[in-house]
Amino acid sequence: MGTLIVIDQPPYGTWAGREALDMAFSLAAFDQPVALLFTGAGVNWLRKSQETTGIGQKSVEKNLSAALIFGVEALYADATACARYGLVPDNMVTGVAMAESSAEVMRQHSHTAFAG
Amino acid sequence: MATISLQNYTLVITGAPYSSQAPQTALSFARAAIAAGHTVDRVFLYGEGVHLASSLSAPPSDEPHWADQWSRFLSENAISGVACIASALRRGLTNDSEQKRYELPANNIREPFIIAGLGEWVEGTMASSRVLYFHGGD
Amino acid sequence: MTEIDTLHILNKAPEHPRSAECLRAIEPGDALLLIESAVLTLATCSELRAGITLYALAPDALARGIAQNAVKASLVDFPAMVELTAQAQKVISW
Repeated sequence: MGTLIVIDQPPYGTWAGREALDMAFSLAAFDQPVALLFTGAGVNWLRKSQETTGIGQKSVEKNLSAALIFGVEALYADATACARYGLVPDNMVTGVAMAESSAEVMRQHSHTAFAG
Repeated sequence: MATISLQNYTLVITGAPYSSQAPQTALSFARAAIAAGHTVDRVFLYGEGVHLASSLSAPPSDEPHWADQWSRFLSENAISGVACIASALRRGLTNDSEQKRYELPANNIREPFIIAGLGEWVEGTMASSRVLYFHGGD
Repeated sequence: MTEIDTLHILNKAPEHPRSAECLRAIEPGDALLLIESAVLTLATCSELRAGITLYALAPDALARGIAQNAVKASLVDFPAMVELTAQAQKVISW
């Protein structure tokens, strides 16, 4: 139940992911159940050791580590997309649950939204 | 026999006019929803969608003027149109009070749109029976 | 009108990654409504899994000259699109 916010766009090259994260934080701030699903190129949000000073943007890694603290219930990553981008638990931020089927995660939520 | 279930909708537009079809699809949808007796609680502009609320867009006269059509529709049906404040300020869309706060040279929100926080969208997810998204196509 | 679990509304062209994701996520009992550039899927997609109802938004299909490809899809107008969103248990906009 609750809302699932899906991030399927890679970090930094587009703002859609940040705006999706804002939606998730906003629901959490109003005590509404919310989880995040990273799929497609969006799984690259979850890579460790993002060093962003050279592109003048804040690292999304820090925003993500705050997600669970601020009340986002879960961070899901699509297992197929992670495999495609060479993401394994060792090179990923902590606290991510692998999902074998994105469709199954969507079915478990009453409301699914992309940011754009 | 099909039962008629009347819904109340929050429509979220994230695609911008002239770079996506989202404002046109959403407007045709909203007109059809109201004609069928459903309610549109609010229209929330998010991300690139906030460009729909600009009072400064001036397309050629032989092209549809989506911002004008949307603002007339909202006024005629007394529907609240809200542009997300964070999305709007990033993209150069502002109202009188934000103009003063950030000491900007002008403001450009088109009536009856207002600028407000994501809480308006959260309220939609809680209060409306359907929340529909109209995204860009890229 | 048949019961719809989730109505998937897709507006992306067939080459967009979200198009493939959407087609993968659809389950028997769901319905797929193609709108905007996604009506081009009528030309590229030969098969949908069994038990999935396919709709395409008529104005978008007509605009793109592809309405005659809609042999496996029902063409719907905006009032019918509204009705689909009202009848479905859930709606996902891709």
